[in-house]
Amino acid sequence: MHTESWQSVGPTLDECIKCNICASYCPVAAVTDLFPGPKFVGPQAQRFRENGQPHSPDHSVDYCSGCRVCNEVCPTGVRITEINTRARAELAEEHGIPLRNRMLGRNDVLAKLGSIVPGLANFGLHNGLSRTLADSVMGISKGAKLPRWANDTFAKWMKKTAEQRLKSDKKVVYYHGCSTMYYEPFIGKATVAVFEHHGYEVIVPEQGCCGLPLLNNAEFPEARKYHQRNLDWLTPYARQGYPIVGTSSSCTLTLKEEAPEMLDMHGPEAHELTMAVWDIFEWLRELQESGQLQTDFRPLPMVLPYHSPCQYRAHRIGSPSLEIMSLIPELDIRESHARCCGGAGTYVYKKEKYQIAMDVGAELFDFVKEQGAEVTMTSCNSETCRWHIETGTDLPCRHPIEILAAAYGLYDLDTRDLV
Amino acid sequence: MKRIDTEILVIGGGATGTGVAWDAALRGYRVVLVERRDLTHGTTGRYHGLLHSGGRYVVKDPVSATECIHENRILRKTHTHCIEDTGGFFVVTPEDEGDYPDKFVAGCAATGVPCNEISLKEAMRREPLLNPRISRVFEVPDGSADSFLATHATAQAARMAGAQLLNYHQVTGLIIEGGDGEKRVVGAHVRDVARGEDLEIRAQMTISATGAWANVVAHMAGISISVIPGKGTMVAMNHRVLNTVVNRCKMPADGDIIVPVHTVAVIGTTDERVADPENLRIEPWEVQLMLEEGEKLVPGISRARVVRAWAGVRPLYQEDYAGSSRDATRKFALLDHKERHNIDGFITITGGKWTTFRLMAEKTVDMATSYLGERKPCITATSSVPGVDQGPYWLGHRLHEIEEKKLQGQLVCECELVTRSMLENAVRQNPTITLDDLRRDVRLGMGPCQGGWCTYRAVGIVHEMTVSETGHPAESGTAEWDVAYMQSPARNVSSSASAGAPAIPDDERALFNPNLLLRDFLQERWKGVTPILWGQQLKQERLDELIYLSVMNVDHLPDRDLSSPVTEFYRYDTTPNGNLEAPE
Amino acid sequence: MSGHSIDLLVIGAGWSGLMAAYTAANAGLKVQVIAKGLGSMHWAAGSIDLFGYAPDAPDTPIHRPLEYVTGKLAKEQPQHPYALLGKDRLVAALDSFVALTHELGLSYGGAAQPGENLMLPTAVGAARPTYLAPQAQLGGDLGRSEPMVIVGFEGLRDFYPQLIAENLAKQGIQARAVLLPFDVLTDRRDSNTVQQAHGMDDPARRSRLISELKKLAKTGERIGLPPILGLDDHAAVLFDMQSQTGATVFEIATLPPSVPGMRLFKAWRNRLNKMGVRVDSNMEVVSAQSEPSSNGAGPSVHLVESATSARPMKHRAGGYVLATGGIMGGGFNSDHEGHVWETIFDLPLTTPQARSEWFNPVFINPAGHPVFSGGVAVNEAMQPLDGDGEVVYSNLWVAGDLLAHDNPILQRSLEGTAIATGFAAAKAAAAAS
Ligand SMILES: Cc1cc2nc3c(=O)[nH]c(=O)nc-3n(C[C@H](O)[C@H](O)[C@H](O)COP(=O)(O)OP(=O)(O)OC[C@H]3O[C@@H](n4cnc5c(N)ncnc54)[C@H](O)[C@@H]3O)c2cc1C
Repeated sequence: MHTESWQSVGPTLDECIKCNICASYCPVAAVTDLFPGPKFVGPQAQRFRENGQPHSPDHSVDYCSGCRVCNEVCPTGVRITEINTRARAELAEEHGIPLRNRMLGRNDVLAKLGSIVPGLANFGLHNGLSRTLADSVMGISKGAKLPRWANDTFAKWMKKTAEQRLKSDKKVVYYHGCSTMYYEPFIGKATVAVFEHHGYEVIVPEQGCCGLPLLNNAEFPEARKYHQRNLDWLTPYARQGYPIVGTSSSCTLTLKEEAPEMLDMHGPEAHELTMAVWDIFEWLRELQESGQLQTDFRPLPMVLPYHSPCQYRAHRIGSPSLEIMSLIPELDIRESHARCCGGAGTYVYKKEKYQIAMDVGAELFDFVKEQGAEVTMTSCNSETCRWHIETGTDLPCRHPIEILAAAYGLYDLDTRDLV
Repeated sequence: MKRIDTEILVIGGGATGTGVAWDAALRGYRVVLVERRDLTHGTTGRYHGLLHSGGRYVVKDPVSATECIHENRILRKTHTHCIEDTGGFFVVTPEDEGDYPDKFVAGCAATGVPCNEISLKEAMRREPLLNPRISRVFEVPDGSADSFLATHATAQAARMAGAQLLNYHQVTGLIIEGGDGEKRVVGAHVRDVARGEDLEIRAQMTISATGAWANVVAHMAGISISVIPGKGTMVAMNHRVLNTVVNRCKMPADGDIIVPVHTVAVIGTTDERVADPENLRIEPWEVQLMLEEGEKLVPGISRARVVRAWAGVRPLYQEDYAGSSRDATRKFALLDHKERHNIDGFITITGGKWTTFRLMAEKTVDMATSYLGERKPCITATSSVPGVDQGPYWLGHRLHEIEEKKLQGQLVCECELVTRSMLENAVRQNPTITLDDLRRDVRLGMGPCQGGWCTYRAVGIVHEMTVSETGHPAESGTAEWDVAYMQSPARNVSSSASAGAPAIPDDERALFNPNLLLRDFLQERWKGVTPILWGQQLKQERLDELIYLSVMNVDHLPDRDLSSPVTEFYRYDTTPNGNLEAPE
Repeated sequence: MSGHSIDLLVIGAGWSGLMAAYTAANAGLKVQVIAKGLGSMHWAAGSIDLFGYAPDAPDTPIHRPLEYVTGKLAKEQPQHPYALLGKDRLVAALDSFVALTHELGLSYGGAAQPGENLMLPTAVGAARPTYLAPQAQLGGDLGRSEPMVIVGFEGLRDFYPQLIAENLAKQGIQARAVLLPFDVLTDRRDSNTVQQAHGMDDPARRSRLISELKKLAKTGERIGLPPILGLDDHAAVLFDMQSQTGATVFEIATLPPSVPGMRLFKAWRNRLNKMGVRVDSNMEVVSAQSEPSSNGAGPSVHLVESATSARPMKHRAGGYVLATGGIMGGGFNSDHEGHVWETIFDLPLTTPQARSEWFNPVFINPAGHPVFSGGVAVNEAMQPLDGDGEVVYSNLWVAGDLLAHDNPILQRSLEGTAIATGFAAAKAAAAAS
């Protein structure tokens, strides 16, 4: 990978004033010596890594979980996480990418395969023996929660219910991402219900994986192809002025910013897409501000610990989920200020990182515990975080859109289906 | 008064003088070298960092070009670990019209400088930030070189061959015997400026390798030589930007080259006649010009962070000087004062380039030999200095070693990756009068924060060593310090991490005052940043101020009236003046 | 959005920003804090410098700073932020801050004689004047006579006890140094103080250190340590240390990251959250829009926009407090042509616009460097003024290091001015709403 421009993240290392705030807040460095901290592997090490060296000088950058807490606290605007991601890509280019990481990077392919015969796939993946094998042969951690394939993909459901779908002049494009497509179609259903509740017709265009797992597993050339595909599919809608709204906070972040920035794809097309992509609550907040948000909420009497995931915070849009959910009567939301759940996308699935992920998550898991025994579920925007939080707390974790759909009386939080 | 007798006295601890000491010692002479400050205090420590391929001179000065490529090949073997094989580009920008590129190609062929035209695509692949409007790119074997390390390594090789090197020893006068027509230099009066003692060094041959100061020393013999001090200003960017040396393909001029050295990329240089080779002002117009010219090679570079600026003086010698100083020849001047001025026992070697220092030393010792009598032949071209076994320098080596040995927690200078043990060994083995000496040894404080964090740490560590009872003076005192590995974190892992800091020889302890070290170094770093303080670097400096004033209160420490031999030098005013335009 | 859901938007999460937010929230305003990142509290010593050295006597610390800044300084420098504030507001701000620290369980205190500066040892062993300091630093008060043992750890790169003790001794203060093996502290590799402090939150580690301290302290000696006495559980750590060693145990602040600052920041931010104030970092304000003057009120700020992963995000509020820090905090930027500008509103600055006027040749200079004394000129209500002395925006207040006519690092007044002007800005905003 030899793309580099002044626009890309590399030159932001110049902003570093060495103050170590990032190192003080990094949740990974706090729990392990294997990661020497964001300043060290980021802006500092970057001055020693340049094109055309005999080999990559360092490898501990691989322990960066990509959570972006460093970016969040940095007073000068160094894109530390992105510098790290790029450095990992350099490493990968040199050492090759382990099969496991290739697999984790292509979760879309895996997901698609599994969804062909979901029952069998679930059995194959989730029985104890195969997890042990995966652990020892592939280095996929046994303790980490893997998603289950749904019986029907989201696309099938959309097709099946095409007749019932709302037609309207007001249109919105839904970017559901891989997880909703294959593992959690109920999130898509809740979302469609909420859109329609606001009188919007939902367009679900052809779309592909946003490429984030590839970026995280350092497969840049492949990620570039993925992003280009999405540009081809989605930009025409952006041009027509339709908002492209997503429920996976990491996918939307990738479409908006990560992909163009990491891959140095700064063309006009990418910019158009960036400007058209919204997180669902970011978009609902706009509705609220223009007085169009439906407020026919039913009370949801419960205590709900809510974690704003790292990827969501990286949107830098405040906390619209919290703002909107707090309109729901009798819902007692407890916002966690934990830095990270620890899961960090595919990080937790890597055997050597599993314990780190659990240790990082302790801050959040303890927070949930402190909220008392009456807590029956938690909430978080990102799918991989939800799975990890479920592992760490033994409580179900719901997407805020599920909570919202439930409050509109459209959705059942226990069966995870429309009512 | 202390008196030392020797065969050859070398004045000046730059590349040339150190090279002379090395060569002469290898040939079997008894040699003493004196340098009034630290080794490389002069131009050698303030140069641009280019190991010339000769490309810059193929049109203008073909003799120099041939010398350069010849020496370039030799130094890669004798000083391998001091050199990075960056390669060099000569690029034709839209402003470089005319037939120079053709002359350049012909010149390369004529002088033996290997030159290859490469495709634009290939050039951009290797250097993505290069100006895309460049039309042609020629590749030459330029490199970049660490003159601090190289000089130290040469000095160690000289010591190993029996030479004695005394830094912080200044020649205050030459000892001259005989009357008119019979004059003979028989040594020098020398002052140990750190301890404030005088001594006398007697020698059969005195060699002045004092670069831009050559005329000052010549005056001590009552003669005058024509050395033109030409000041050059350089500006270092906070990160590499480029990994290849990039030259404009045109007649050499101001700001036409960017050299990646260690972690930075250096844009240079200007060329201005100055009266005083010591105290050099960096004019705002020079900084401005470097950035403007830099833009032509790397668009956007002027908005990137500048970490520091400095200036060096070219010791340009010309017999019949006329015209501006860039026109003066860069070939070196070896002056036989017996022949020219009828003064026996005295030779001056000046001019030239860092790249040709070995050759200059060889010719100088050849001349000395003609007076002192034949010894062994010159073998520097086929010898190597200690440390070459580490292989060529590569940027990542420190990071790599720190990772491998897990030394992250030991970092004292986090920007330049200097560990505590590296620093301790440097202190222990090299007389340390200021932290600046340690900077030259291990790159302490040379990164973005410019001493913000490491000044305190280094002072604390040096102080700990001076008061430590528990160290290992015997272990350290016996062997000459291996400067060969001084920049290698992995070679400086302390064996007994918790056994306390290694002690320093008693007579050197007295030279340390922590509060003075602290003030001197903060001032030294300040001096080099004021010419380029704006944007990020100004923010950095304010944070450094917060640390040293608010948190540490160093401006109210005891010992405020102490000064070192370099205190005044560091206080020379380099803050920007109002001159934004270059003088005509 | 009409009838703003937020009364006051505070931009900046340093000392002045948090103080403004806290004060405004206390006054009943709906407040939000946004900041590019975390700032000054994480860098400095964590104490409140009110005023340390007078420009006409830079070698002698000010003895009674409150008296000085409201008396002599106010008279001689009527534009100095303290002069604009006046005594009442300054005292009220300091009182409010101290009350807050009690609530947070991170009490600050001052010299034995009220109104006087404390003198505290620094990490090089200089005597540093400050006005209020966290409990854990008060034990180091050089006005007290008990001898000190300064305890460090071999290999801890940010603390050198022998240097501290030697310099204190040179100033006639009884101090000795002890170096303990590093593994008393931790088995972790990194040796920065935040990590060590965090380690001390663990009672087992703590007792290992306590037993070492017991062995080495002589009766009547106080024990000086690097700032490692816990991060999240500081009060308990300090209590255990003192009660179990039977000695006064204190911390000496050192290089950033600042442990005392981080403790305070975390607790303060939590407190604000509990008061309903969001504190969001990673929100860099990149532009602002103003509204022209209406019914004689003068122009006002209409909204500000912060950078997001896509479209800029609009923030509208009734009023705005600008607390982005000066050159250090990022509130000002500068370039090689000698321009210095305020990054959000491009407010008029007093800073010289030529590099040739920015610096003195000597770094440690009692006159300081002029570039650092410039800033935004304000009226008594902390409203920014233009060259004619007119208020620039009627609903904008400015606090902290942005202010003109002082050099808070040189004068040792950084936190004092930040807290007091943050307080005053919030009060003025509350009064206006
Ligand atoms: C701006 C600039 C950029 C350059 N860039 C390059 C480059 O990229 N590549 C390259 O090959 N060459 C370069 N050169 C040239 C090269 O740096 C010099 O030719 C070389 O360093 C000269 O070394 P020296 O030992 O002769 O002189 P110096 O390094 O100046 O050494 C002379 C020494 O004599 C000492 N001395 C003086 N008086 C006394 C006394 N009375 N008693 C004791 N000691 C005394 C001084 O302190 C000094 O250390 C550059 C020169 C300049 C000015």
